[in-house]
Amino acid sequence: MTELDAAADTTAAAAVAPGTAAAAVAPAPAPLGEHAPIRIAHLYPSLLNVAGDGGNLIAISRRAEWRGIAVEVEAVEKGQTPDFRRFDIVLFHGGQDVEMAVVAEDFQKQAPSLREAVAEGTIVFAVCAGLQLLGHRYISSAGEVMQGAGILDLETRGGPQRFMQHAACEVTIHGETQMVVGFENHSGLTELGPGCEPFGRMVAGAGNNGLNGLEGARSGNVFATYLHGPCLPKNPWLADQLIRIALSRAEGVAPSLVDLAPLDDELERRAHDVALAKAMANRGRRTALEPARLVRGLKK
Amino acid sequence: MTSLIDRRAPGPKKSLSFRTFLALAAGKSAAHATRLAGRGGGTSITGMVARRLDPRVLERLVRDQGVPVVAITGSNGKTTTARFTAALLRGEGVTVSHNSAGANLIQGITSLAVSYADLRGDLPDGVLVVEVDEGALPKVAPELAPRALLVTDLFRDQLDRFGEIYAVADAIESVAAGLPPESALIVNGDDPMVAMLARSRRGRRITFGLEIERSTDRITRAADTIRCPKCRSDLEYRFVYLSHMGDYSCPSCGFQRPRLDVAVTELEVVGLDRTRMEIQTSSGKLEIEIPQSGVHIAYDAAAAIAILVGLGVSLEHAAESLGAVGPAFGRLETIDADGRALLLAFAKNPTSYNTTLRALATEEEPRQLLIAASNTLVDGEDFGWLWDVDFETMAPKVERAVVSGTRADELANRLKYAGVPAERLTIVEDRRAALDAALADLPADCRLVVLTGYTPLIELRNEMMRRGWTGRYWAV
Repeated sequence: MTELDAAADTTAAAAVAPGTAAAAVAPAPAPLGEHAPIRIAHLYPSLLNVAGDGGNLIAISRRAEWRGIAVEVEAVEKGQTPDFRRFDIVLFHGGQDVEMAVVAEDFQKQAPSLREAVAEGTIVFAVCAGLQLLGHRYISSAGEVMQGAGILDLETRGGPQRFMQHAACEVTIHGETQMVVGFENHSGLTELGPGCEPFGRMVAGAGNNGLNGLEGARSGNVFATYLHGPCLPKNPWLADQLIRIALSRAEGVAPSLVDLAPLDDELERRAHDVALAKAMANRGRRTALEPARLVRGLKK
Repeated sequence: MTSLIDRRAPGPKKSLSFRTFLALAAGKSAAHATRLAGRGGGTSITGMVARRLDPRVLERLVRDQGVPVVAITGSNGKTTTARFTAALLRGEGVTVSHNSAGANLIQGITSLAVSYADLRGDLPDGVLVVEVDEGALPKVAPELAPRALLVTDLFRDQLDRFGEIYAVADAIESVAAGLPPESALIVNGDDPMVAMLARSRRGRRITFGLEIERSTDRITRAADTIRCPKCRSDLEYRFVYLSHMGDYSCPSCGFQRPRLDVAVTELEVVGLDRTRMEIQTSSGKLEIEIPQSGVHIAYDAAAAIAILVGLGVSLEHAAESLGAVGPAFGRLETIDADGRALLLAFAKNPTSYNTTLRALATEEEPRQLLIAASNTLVDGEDFGWLWDVDFETMAPKVERAVVSGTRADELANRLKYAGVPAERLTIVEDRRAALDAALADLPADCRLVVLTGYTPLIELRNEMMRRGWTGRYWAV
């Protein structure tokens, strides 16, 4: 079990065999003023564990728990094929090339179930390798092809340089627009097809390919971004949007009508603003540093 | 076995070129000027000035003169291993110079050579022990032509600096493969990726690690490289000793831990201040007790002993030499702050953080905390890895935390999400003010745990020295 220890008590119940968890598929109607538990699948936590993306799970879990909303987290590792329809949110994070290749192969078996769940409105929040593998394919600079799930209409090619910097983009969800910040660290160049829209519009940083000012991809409840950081802890608005959508599905109301108690976000805002200031200081730079230069030890 | 520590210049001694002389003289006076101006020890300015005047100054002083060099690289344990190696060599009567200030980039290493050299360009007799940043190694190694190269371990450390750990491993592998056959390559056999990069080595190779029949750690979220570096399948561990280091094998391709030349066969970590171990080499067994605590101390000790084995130097006084090496700069160092106890701990990545937090937990610490993170070039820009640190276990104990450094924002937010209530967190970015704030309300019977990255550590340490606190150790 590689999940967060802190989440273990609520996790234990969910981490049983798929059959026994079926009871959770139809949640009991929530009493007035209360919410049903949010059920989260964390994809490949022991493979995709770089750059602190696990912080996204921590952010959603804590922000729900602080409001008295229970969270059930299930780690989905290699070789497991759960029915994704029983989850409200699926987290699919970034990883290094070697781990991504292992995941790409295994993910083929999970993709059909995830596709069905997405069709029913399950939320997916994907970062970096997760974004790339939700697309049609990833073609490395050496020409090797990794098949993706085709859930998002996008394709990624390995690029010659690595984008590594603080970045910021404007994201619109349900008519509300906010600045989302994070740290990009990728060399893949992603092109979106007509079947999906961008997750955000770059304000500072490279985004999908350093050229068209687009960041990530979005299709319905599937959100995919290149922003590490991790993204959700310093973008509480975005974390809350995901929580809202999750609750709205169970409660049958529009996400904007979900009654979500406000939290004191002073520390979150501060982290957001510092990251934003850093991103703005780099504004206009399409790329940051080439890894080869760094590996040679020139730290300028 | 012949010893590798004799000086052997490739040809008759050449006199110094005017250019190198100029670089030496200018570098030395730059250090002097900085010290006079009270701006620290001038650790990298010397090298920067000298290299500007003669870009080849380091190779002229070291490689061209046949100075025997021990280079120590890897993610963790470089400083401690360098100190152990220097102590062991000195114990056997060998003169040693080494870069103890942790200035391990090319400018810092050049500074070391320039400040040790006299104006004729001669370095003192004996061995130069050099700690080299794993990213700087490919550039530094050819200028040093090391007789012994040690790779401690490879952890995911500052991804934003290197992109990916695999690129670092590849770069180290090409340096290792390019060493002359008589030079010694010393590798941590318990780290799969380090063991892998040594496979292409033709020539002298020494492996070290732990050979004990129990696990001393478990694989956590912070661990990486637990995929087989050869075929990418999941490795199986008979025992896990520290993060991803252990006795492993690959069920699908058969890749496994190599036979160890130097092995820790018994290990006992005693409280926060001592580690006892038994180390087996081909020439016998050594009983060692070191006044520092942790499984990583056993790795560092085994590494240093493996270096001496690699160099062909005897180990007659090993126990005595290592027994006298106290904690390095900020590695769980206890300081008397005008009658109040302060525990200074350095943590730079998830692994070193988790190791330190586990050690503190054995003493029900930290209750009172000063914690700092800054983003400078040395510390890295991306602090996402803070979310891989197991702060959750620590959080319930924390009664109060002062959060400092230029990335206090990220750190405070992380601690909040780990479960430290926001009202127990105070952000004081300035390091000096943070130290005052943390000490101001410190209960009389409580010690302050100072947990910090590299740059804030130096700043805090300098401030403590200014206040006359350091150098006086408490008996823990």
